[in-house]
Amino acid sequence: MPMSCYSSVTTVRLDAIKDAETPRVHSLPCEIEHDGPAEVSAYFSATAKERKHEKTVSFRGRGLKGQEVSCPKGYTGLILQEVHKPSSDQEDGVLKVSSVFNKFTYWNLDTPPSSDDGIVMAMSWPQVANAIHAPLED
Amino acid sequence: MATKKKRSPLRDASGWVVVAADSVVGAPEEGAGDPTFARLRNPSSGGASLYLFGGGDAQVYEVKAFAEDHRSWFVGETVQRDGRLLFITPMDPLYLLLPYIQEAGAEGKFQPANQVVTDEDFPGCSRLLRCTCALESLRLVADEKEVANQRFYRYNQQKTLDWLKRKVERTVSVLKRSDVSVGGGVKSATYVRVKSEVDASDEDYLRYAHGLVSEYVSEDLSKELLRHLQLPEISSPKEEPPSKKRKLSDKPVEAGEDYTKFNSADFARKPQKKMTVAQKSLAKVDKSGMRPMSAFFGPKVKQEKK
Repeated sequence: MPMSCYSSVTTVRLDAIKDAETPRVHSLPCEIEHDGPAEVSAYFSATAKERKHEKTVSFRGRGLKGQEVSCPKGYTGLILQEVHKPSSDQEDGVLKVSSVFNKFTYWNLDTPPSSDDGIVMAMSWPQVANAIHAPLED
Repeated sequence: MATKKKRSPLRDASGWVVVAADSVVGAPEEGAGDPTFARLRNPSSGGASLYLFGGGDAQVYEVKAFAEDHRSWFVGETVQRDGRLLFITPMDPLYLLLPYIQEAGAEGKFQPANQVVTDEDFPGCSRLLRCTCALESLRLVADEKEVANQRFYRYNQQKTLDWLKRKVERTVSVLKRSDVSVGGGVKSATYVRVKSEVDASDEDYLRYAHGLVSEYVSEDLSKELLRHLQLPEISSPKEEPPSKKRKLSDKPVEAGEDYTKFNSADFARKPQKKMTVAQKSLAKVDKSGMRPMSAFFGPKVKQEKK
């Protein structure tokens, strides 16, 4: 049975966006083997300090150093969550926008955050992508 | 991957953390429908990559993953194990259409676009012709003929190289401009250093921009473009590996270190990170669909060369 290899699509439902939460978003310098609820504000955010633009927090006994990063101009942060899980490759999937954010804090373990950090540099990608992709003016 | 202990499997509830162009979620046209992720043929690798159609197919977007080892997210009062950050940026559909036009051009005759842009493996490719300006832009890479109100196209390599050259030149100017316009913010600082510390030459910029644009064309065309830009071929593209120190080191990123050779075949053999079904369905074929951004971090690396 010849079947298109890559015919399935995954829809992003936008209707949920008006109900989307605007949570605080943190990028942590470790892999946490968990997906789901956690008492972030009670045990993480509560220990966060900010002095002279330097954010510090204690997490599992380690001192983390953090910096706030804004989404590039014209860009929005989204959390996409699965609504319908396709049971096969051929089946279409559905995601929804569960949260939106405009900035997040990323944390380093030892090195103080700087503009050398990959994630900070990554934030200039949209600008460069625009140079590569925007239609050329004649 | 150096896994010290057995990881528990990812739960299916995991989501994606995304930075998307406002137009993806912005006021949709009446009846335009929701955006959809679809897999299309990657114009550089020929493999499958993930893209997003938005605004009722008016715009196609590229999906790139920024991945570092050992990252997870806190989102509100939840943990998200997958620490990647996805970028969804508008894409010029012409890059995706070009391989089809080019392939048909081998036959040497004028053909209608909808006859040329078909793909058994990637039926979504015909949606590209619905993108705003996609049809009109074909004349940038093809000769055009109109017969009885129908347009016919035939690939023109010279036009294509001119088009790509302009793309490279504009990319150079944006790279340079972003050097200058450092407002103390973190965003543009990355390029400042290229200039002030490394004193990048015009050729460095040109080469780098060529590398960026080459991610969207075949290897052959990339080489042609190099000649067209009058840049000598570097004997080994491995000459400028991204800094290890920078360590954007998810597996696929390592595979993509050499951006001139960057393609999905490289990734196909790599062990997948554990992913949810949704993520697999989005990403599975290809990491280059969610292309790691190593290429983008190329220029800083020049420091290593010295």
